[in-house]
Amino acid sequence: MKTSRLSSFLLLGYGIFILAFLYLPLVSVGLASVSKARYLSFPIRKYNTGWYGEALASDTVQSLLWISLKVAGIVTVSSMVIGFLGALAFARYSWRFRKGFQKLILLPIFFPQTVLGLALLMWFNALGIVPSWKTAIIAHLVWIAPIATLIVSIRAFSFDPSLEEAARDMGASQWQVLREVTIPLLMPGVVSAGLFAFLLSWGNFPLSLFTTGADSTLPEWLFAKMISGYSPLVPTVGMLTVAGSAVLVAAGLILAWALKRLRPTT
Amino acid sequence: MSDLSPILRISALTKTFDEFTALHGIDLDVAEGEFLAIVGPSGSGKTTLIRLLVGMDDPTGGAIWLRDQRIDVIPANKRPTCMVFQSLALFPHRTVGQNIEFPLKLRGVKPGARKERALELLDLLRLPRDYYSKRIQQCSGGEKQRVALARALAFDPEILFFDEPLSALDYRLRKTLEKELKDLHRRTGKTFIYITHSLEEAMVMSDRIAIMRAGRFEQIAPAEEIYARPVSPFVAEFMGEVNFLSLSAGTVAGAALSPAAQAAFAGQSGTLVIRPESLRLAPASADLTLTGTVAAEYLLGSRVQYRFDSPAGELTVEVLREDAVAGGTGAQVALGCDIAAVHVIPEAEDAAA
Repeated sequence: MKTSRLSSFLLLGYGIFILAFLYLPLVSVGLASVSKARYLSFPIRKYNTGWYGEALASDTVQSLLWISLKVAGIVTVSSMVIGFLGALAFARYSWRFRKGFQKLILLPIFFPQTVLGLALLMWFNALGIVPSWKTAIIAHLVWIAPIATLIVSIRAFSFDPSLEEAARDMGASQWQVLREVTIPLLMPGVVSAGLFAFLLSWGNFPLSLFTTGADSTLPEWLFAKMISGYSPLVPTVGMLTVAGSAVLVAAGLILAWALKRLRPTT
Repeated sequence: MSDLSPILRISALTKTFDEFTALHGIDLDVAEGEFLAIVGPSGSGKTTLIRLLVGMDDPTGGAIWLRDQRIDVIPANKRPTCMVFQSLALFPHRTVGQNIEFPLKLRGVKPGARKERALELLDLLRLPRDYYSKRIQQCSGGEKQRVALARALAFDPEILFFDEPLSALDYRLRKTLEKELKDLHRRTGKTFIYITHSLEEAMVMSDRIAIMRAGRFEQIAPAEEIYARPVSPFVAEFMGEVNFLSLSAGTVAGAALSPAAQAAFAGQSGTLVIRPESLRLAPASADLTLTGTVAAEYLLGSRVQYRFDSPAGELTVEVLREDAVAGGTGAQVALGCDIAAVHVIPEAEDAAA
């Protein structure tokens, strides 16, 4: 079928509109971060990259980056482990309470994050735990681990159970089956789950707001500064946050590509 | 086969799932080096049986012996048997070579020796040696089949089980691989137990065929015997096109019997089994004769198949093309066959089936 000139023109226009709609706000933050002016206004009269140097030198920003990184890093690793084991229970093995488990694990995703954050804060108080970046890890996990489980489950559902049976038939112990067959085959799912976990934790605001206590993550600080004390440091730190995500996504894509490329020949 | 002690002995093997009984206490002896095909329609229990034999499931009752060792109490990974799966179960994240070497790697064989064995097996299965480093996804259906076989042989099992490994392939490839598999059986001298729902496959390859139905063996015998002397109408029909005539107290309704046939059937009741190729058209003399009207005619290459309406019921007849009926549909033809081509299933067994 041949599309007419008009319809392909309209399609192109629509595509450009959607992309602009999605990315212009991001571009404007990027522009604001290189503006010399103290307050956000367009068009930008004078450009200046000094805010980036200032941001990186600032103790506050460094501590924010470090806390966000610690939280996201630990959440990522934990989500990968929980997601892998959870997916085996969710999608791979049949057991008595599997149906119930499949429903229960989805529940935290359906809770609005603010409600979940509030509930967790009340719970920490009841247990006498002082909120800090460590409690934020738990809060993030409550929401992110189910998502990671679902992501790995997609992979686990397409897994042919006879592969494990064949390995066992050829003499593999339970542990060897896991190491030689199950883990390598679910690995792409686990890597994607890890990427999502990092991005969701790194950019999370509502759960962090309720559960970090005196500590602060990057999104929390951005919000606080937006309300009072705006300076070009705000869009600069915002852009640094985006850069963090971008580096991670790139690393993840390279890792996935390498896994696919290298495994069969090693 | 009975003079040798069997390599595999199954006794009173039972498997039940909740209320459903998949296997009703079955017995079977398999001789060393035999190629046994287990054939049955889906739901007959053949897959359940093979899963018990390799240890994927536990039997509810009975025992499985491999020579003098009871194996049904041994976990799957400790049994000296290996199975080629219906899905082939080749590891997609490993190369052809790594797949073949897998059982050797588990046993701790050194990489050099592993590779040597894998290359030998590629030769045996007539795959080029450079397939060693190929990825599984790059192999065709028939090549994957050979890789799966090579991997199973690398395990060097006492018995090699097959769970319908050819069912997903197209007709021509299946035919080629059937012959290759038979050839491989001869060259390796191993015991093969092959599960299939295709009788044709079983007949081409196996020494003996075990016909399964509803969790029991209906008949276990070489193909020719099952074809010529089925123990039940079920087996007879399973073995291809067949005509059944009802024998009642020595007479066959709608057919005339010669004195020899009358003597042979005297006093018997049951079902007469006559293969389509055993019925002749306009015979000069025959032990059993009847008249039929051609209802339909089908060309089968070198042969012609007819459907006749007759007083004894609908009959299928297959003749060589040069013996075809003149006149086509509607023609009245005398049909006959000799007593040697007729097999009688006595009434009692008939009723049981």
